[in-house]
Amino acid sequence: MKALNRLPPMLGFGLVAALAALPFSGNAYLTTFAFSVLIAYILGQSWDWVAGEMGYVNLGHYAFYGIGAYAFAIVLVGGSPFWLAFVAALGVTAIAARLLAVPLFRLHGDYFAFASLALLPLLEVLAYNLTPITRGADGIVLPVAQVLQPAYLIALAVCVLTFAVTLRIHGARFGYALKSIRNDEQVAETVGVRIAPVKRRVLILSSLFGAAAGALQAWQMSYIDPATVFGLNVALAPIAMVLFAGSGLRYGPLVGVLLLASMQQWLLVSVKGFQATLYGATLLLIGRFMPGGFLRAKWVRRVPGLAEFGREHHEHAMTAGVQAPAKAGGELPLKTLPVDGARPLIELQGVRMQFGGNVAVNDVTLSIRAGEIVGLIGPNGSGKTTLFNCISRVYTPTAGRVLFDGQDLAELGRDGIARLGVGRTYQIPRPFSDLTVQENIAIPLMFGAKPLSPRDALREARAFVDYAELGPRLYDRADALSVQEKKALEFARALACRPRLLLVDEVASGLTPAEVKRFVEHIRHVRDRYGITVIWVEHIFSALEQVVDRVIALEQGVLIADGPLDAVVRNERVLATYLGAAAAATQPSAQPMLIQGVA
Amino acid sequence: MRTIAIAVAAASTLLASLPAAAKLNSCDGPVVFGTTLSETGPFSTLADRWRKLTEVFAEEINKSGGIAVKACNKKLPLQFVIYDDQSVPATAVQLYEKMATVDKVDFFVGPDWSSIGGPVPPIADKYQIPMVMANVATPALYDRGLRYTWGTPFPVVPNWSTRYFDMLTKVNPKPQSIYFITHDNPVMKGITASWSKKAEAQGLKVLGNETFSPELKDFTALIAKVRAAKADVIYISSYDNASVPLVQQMRQLKVRAMDVHHTMLTGALARQVGADIEGMTGELSWYPGVKGAYSELVETVMQRSNVTMFDYIWTLGRLTSYLAMVQGIEKAGVVDREKVREALFKATIRSPAGDVTFDERGFPNTGAFTVQMQNGKVNVVWPPEVATGRLAWPSPSWQQ
Amino acid sequence: MEVLLQVLIGGVLLGGLYALVAFGLSLIYGVVRILNFAHGTLLAVCGVAASLAFSAWQMHPALIAAMLAPLLFAFAWAYYHLLLRPLAARNHFEGTVGTVLVTVGTLLILSDLTAKAAGSTQRNIPLRLPALEFGEIVVSSTQLLILGGIVVLTIVMHVLLKHTWFGRAIRAVTQDGVGAQICGVRSVHMKALTFAFGSATVAVAAVLYVLSFPVDPYMGFGLTVKAFTIIVVGGVGNLPGALLAGVFLGVAEGLTGLYWKPEWAPALSVIAMLLILVVWPKGLGRSA
Repeated sequence: MKALNRLPPMLGFGLVAALAALPFSGNAYLTTFAFSVLIAYILGQSWDWVAGEMGYVNLGHYAFYGIGAYAFAIVLVGGSPFWLAFVAALGVTAIAARLLAVPLFRLHGDYFAFASLALLPLLEVLAYNLTPITRGADGIVLPVAQVLQPAYLIALAVCVLTFAVTLRIHGARFGYALKSIRNDEQVAETVGVRIAPVKRRVLILSSLFGAAAGALQAWQMSYIDPATVFGLNVALAPIAMVLFAGSGLRYGPLVGVLLLASMQQWLLVSVKGFQATLYGATLLLIGRFMPGGFLRAKWVRRVPGLAEFGREHHEHAMTAGVQAPAKAGGELPLKTLPVDGARPLIELQGVRMQFGGNVAVNDVTLSIRAGEIVGLIGPNGSGKTTLFNCISRVYTPTAGRVLFDGQDLAELGRDGIARLGVGRTYQIPRPFSDLTVQENIAIPLMFGAKPLSPRDALREARAFVDYAELGPRLYDRADALSVQEKKALEFARALACRPRLLLVDEVASGLTPAEVKRFVEHIRHVRDRYGITVIWVEHIFSALEQVVDRVIALEQGVLIADGPLDAVVRNERVLATYLGAAAAATQPSAQPMLIQGVA
Repeated sequence: MRTIAIAVAAASTLLASLPAAAKLNSCDGPVVFGTTLSETGPFSTLADRWRKLTEVFAEEINKSGGIAVKACNKKLPLQFVIYDDQSVPATAVQLYEKMATVDKVDFFVGPDWSSIGGPVPPIADKYQIPMVMANVATPALYDRGLRYTWGTPFPVVPNWSTRYFDMLTKVNPKPQSIYFITHDNPVMKGITASWSKKAEAQGLKVLGNETFSPELKDFTALIAKVRAAKADVIYISSYDNASVPLVQQMRQLKVRAMDVHHTMLTGALARQVGADIEGMTGELSWYPGVKGAYSELVETVMQRSNVTMFDYIWTLGRLTSYLAMVQGIEKAGVVDREKVREALFKATIRSPAGDVTFDERGFPNTGAFTVQMQNGKVNVVWPPEVATGRLAWPSPSWQQ
Repeated sequence: MEVLLQVLIGGVLLGGLYALVAFGLSLIYGVVRILNFAHGTLLAVCGVAASLAFSAWQMHPALIAAMLAPLLFAFAWAYYHLLLRPLAARNHFEGTVGTVLVTVGTLLILSDLTAKAAGSTQRNIPLRLPALEFGEIVVSSTQLLILGGIVVLTIVMHVLLKHTWFGRAIRAVTQDGVGAQICGVRSVHMKALTFAFGSATVAVAAVLYVLSFPVDPYMGFGLTVKAFTIIVVGGVGNLPGALLAGVFLGVAEGLTGLYWKPEWAPALSVIAMLLILVVWPKGLGRSA
């Protein structure tokens, strides 16, 4: 089996060698065809960095090709040497990408796709009308030079570079930033990933390679006009090729381009008529039956050689040594935080969160000292999760201030707040679904205040994984976990943010009493051992009462009680709105249970 | 490594699936012309049924034996290798490379359209295969020092409206002013540039020139400007299809002029605008009434493939490229690329519309006849010697 | 002054046409969230068919529309069940990719088959109703008809979506298919119905379109992009918004042609869309 694992790299080297030899073999036709395949690969793979890795489907990727081609042609015709024109093409396109990133990345999902697609007709009109620069409809006529060989070899080099970049991105922090954005952008920010620069950088990177493809093909064809480089009839071709085999897979673009380009060429020369129908039918059938790309189809996994191409690549950073048995209370690589009595760790001053007419959080003022475990209770819809969202900046409060260790959080973005030391879990677990448990934990470690390299982060992640008793699931994808396991993962991931304040949102519901007890132990342990302050939203009182120092109650966004548990549960308003008369009736005794912790 | 070499070799044989061409300089086998047609994709609207046209052309030529080759003392049959370039220049380039190296055609004819006529000719030069392009009209593409390329667009920009403007000097009442409306396309813009100058030289005042994008649907603003100018002649320099809404809206908004001239007055336009086309003048490169060299052949070919010149005016350009290559071979007397190249250099070839002379760049001097739509029929109205109908001036339907 | 008025009227009428092209897509994407790249091609192909029916049998355009619409309804219904519904069951990524591939494949197949069957030449229905004249101002009756038609269609659909059980059911299905099912809505049925209905309106739109402008089998994708632009500017799912957006763009293009240069007019819709999205990243208006 191991030999088959080496099949793709072996084939890869063989392929590159064969391709490098092709222009010298005397077969100009195959060389020209192979050249178009190389160009398609550069376009397809560079597209996939934005789409497959980051999840943003840029249907206007061809715009970079066109801008690159035009910039190259304009500079070349002006009398400059090839390399200067080539560099100019890259430079101009990178600037264009940087500018386009501003409007484009305000959009998400389908809107992003539409807007990017609409760029092509826009650029076509610009090319037609900016005649002094682009020669308009006449197109740009480049001097005739037989440049197939050099263009081909440069294109081959760019292809190898494209693949190398793909591999490099994959194992790097940058790649993990992309993948976290792909899965859940908001959560990525709240674990410390700076998403705006990452998005810009990947778009610029992708544009550079798109421009290279455009410049090289313009050079080889020696003539471009607006319809050729911005035409909608060819714009989706490289994208379809990548999607055909599998976007987001390491070999997806490569396999897709090779197969579809060859099929297209074969149809062109051997079949008379209906080529487009057959090509379209192929796309349609793959889309219908194997929409993740055929490399992701079940039957591919059964074919020994092929399976390797469809494999998802997850970094493991194999840790040497025997797997230590997982146990609760295992050591975490967290520093013990000092308990500073002087100033509250977190303070909310008149925080108000309003959505249109709905006031979700109504002038809440509270303060929590370092080292406290505070329970947050209230009926559903009382604003507990919204409060958490205000603290972690998922929402920006309509009014009021949130102070963390004296610092006004209004100055920071979500990722800044995460790095400052606020970690949280979500009521419905939001793991990075297509990444492994290990990778999920490693990401906050890579992007925290003291960022680790991916290798170190993956290694250190093991400790957190063991702590959460997910050891056996270390290399499993997060979406394969059960709900309880996902909750444990949430908790471990929050801890990996090295938080000073941990916001825990209803993690215990659905757990068995034994699991609840273990969880309570975890909470107590992180406070006792590492000095982490905890705010815990929970409905299960038997869990809260074992560990909280005090309790805050919310009702319809208003803070109605703030004090020790036994006082709060007897509070009239709390009883009326939340616990109900029955609870009042079943109060066992007036004696409060002894609660440990800070008074 | 060996496996890969074998795979590559197998792939190339798989991709080459046609019978052997004539060995050059020999007298066996057919003479093979390689060409691509835009059968699919955006340009295919201009080239309907051309594959049939091409195949029928070969059949008809071969009915009398084929191409006369003096050195062989006989006629060699003509065979075409035809591929679909799908209106994509990069695809065309690959296909011409294939035809040169794998299919090993003897000569190239076509392609059409500037987009494709830009990238393809360097291949002819690379393999030193003479190529007579068809409908490639952008003069800049001939200025590149190519030695193996000619073209037969009908008509060429400098000659496009020669007869029309000649007519304008002889009509009564004489027009004093002219307004140009131009489709944003290199050929059309070239025509306007060329002919607005000649109009001025002739004493016609050019009152304006509005360019419109092929996508434009609402011409109200543009027509408003035209109406305000009140020119005697309105010259529409546009592809037929792009101007359909323009012509319709000009009628609706009651534009008035002595004449409305259209550089591409075709059956397609007539079909789409119906009666709106009445009275308009235009250019037509040839029609079955004109008896010129190869007229019968061309008439038969078009009839058999169900193509009418008025509908598909590019057809003459296509067919003439075939005729030019045939005559080049006959003139050279031998199936030899260099000899044919010499034979075609600055040559004068015969076509149904008259003689065509290539300059040293391979650019021809093709022209057109002036036509007018009269009662739903297209009539040649200038020059009067070959006219099939009398010119109605000023154009009646544009006057009321 | 009259020129300006004429241009404004022309712009409004053109806007009606844009709204017409976008209407079916607004319904299909806005309500059922299916990204149909073949939308414009379907319109172009129907237009070719309509043109052929007219020239071959001299059928009245209304009759042609009445014939094509049910055909398209049936075709779309089958298309949805065979090709799109199974994709909705997959995860989000595969669902989107699958829909893209399926609809792009469809557009290639449709263009090619139509070109083979009917030729790729450009066609229209060259039937012109006499124009209405108000002094110097001329108003095209055909386009007025289109504008009237699209306004009526938009109002009807809007009322249907907002004020009937059927409309609420469709909107519920879009927001939460399972939840809607629990409430007794046959979700799959609803989606198929909406998709089929949206496609049937394309048939009507195609007939009206070719009365004004020509079509050929390969122009579809350009129309699709234009239609997407309009529904984004108008707010996805907002049918009256799409109508207003269409009119707004038609007028803007006309004014550009009058006061600046006509060649920039087609760029306007894209620029407008980008500007609007920058300011309102979720598009104008709220979803239906």
